[in-house]
Amino acid sequence: MASHATTEQPLAPGEIAKPNTAWIWRVFGILVGITAIEFVFAFLMHPSTLRNSIFIILTIFKAFFIVAEFMHLKHETKGLIWTILVPVALLIWLLVALITEGSFIGEVLENMFK
Amino acid sequence: MAQPTTLQPPAASATQDAPRTGTWDGGNEPFKASYGKLMMWFFLLSDAFTFAAFLTTYGMIRHKHEVFTGEAKDFVFSTRWWPIPDHVFNAFPGMGDANVPLGFVALMTMILILSSVTMVLAVEAGHRMDKADVQKWLLWTILFGSIFLCSQAWEWSHFIHGHTEGTLMADGTVFHGANLAMNQYGPVLFADLFFFITGFHGTHVFSGVCLLIWCFIATTNGTFEKRGHYEMVEKIGLYWHFVDLVWVFVFTFFYLV
Repeated sequence: MASHATTEQPLAPGEIAKPNTAWIWRVFGILVGITAIEFVFAFLMHPSTLRNSIFIILTIFKAFFIVAEFMHLKHETKGLIWTILVPVALLIWLLVALITEGSFIGEVLENMFK
Repeated sequence: MAQPTTLQPPAASATQDAPRTGTWDGGNEPFKASYGKLMMWFFLLSDAFTFAAFLTTYGMIRHKHEVFTGEAKDFVFSTRWWPIPDHVFNAFPGMGDANVPLGFVALMTMILILSSVTMVLAVEAGHRMDKADVQKWLLWTILFGSIFLCSQAWEWSHFIHGHTEGTLMADGTVFHGANLAMNQYGPVLFADLFFFITGFHGTHVFSGVCLLIWCFIATTNGTFEKRGHYEMVEKIGLYWHFVDLVWVFVFTFFYLV
């Protein structure tokens, strides 16, 4: 497993390396920042398809940082990355397809007796 | 000169294929990840299918229902249209009927993201074989996870008991709160989906906290130190981040959109 670049010094037995946590707090800052932006949009913008698209794009950004950095997927082999991403992409297709279907069913039910 | 009795490969073997050593020819680890970690990834993928099924159902059912088209300030709860989330989730513990739209859920989101950070810190400490640091960060993660669970319990309790004003139902009675068959906020399925989706997520957080407590005890007993690596912390970390990831989506689709 590839690990984050550290200046590895040979350690004496029983000695513990210095923590390397700057990148963790940076990702935390990004996640908090994106959540804050979401709230700004939630309160300052009227509900619309545009606002929902902004929310979904920001959510995908957040998901990227959690999966790539916290779950370390970005630093795994290409094969593992694709193994995870391809089924997820198919799930998103299912999501889009069924939401469209839901709008259609709603329309049909509403106009049934008109 | 007599032939040796041991089996010799025929002379033609010089032209036979040498043992194949490609990525997928066996005998190596193409993904360069241990069995346990790979299986955790595949479990999480299958768990993602379950949550995606929930969110897909939510999207489909929500789009099947009518949308409230007036100004947000004129919004009233009705079984005719899907409720606007700011109007449902606007209570904060200890503040009575004060209108704090999405305030509490914002706090819960922060707590869960923070618990994810302390989890990465525990994994990082594990890489350095720093037992004391692993213990410290695992305890913080357990603490934040437990606070999140308590917050969710409060959120559920408030959702079930309802807002003081309630909603006038079709038969003339005023109904407060929600159950699986009736709710004051909107269509029946709104409350059902709330219970199922946040409940399923909460169950995952609960399992995660149990795993973390077990992991803390094992760390304290020196199990991982004797084993020579803290991979178990990494695997439980993967699960914990996945739970955080699911919350990010639940938060967007249930509370924001």
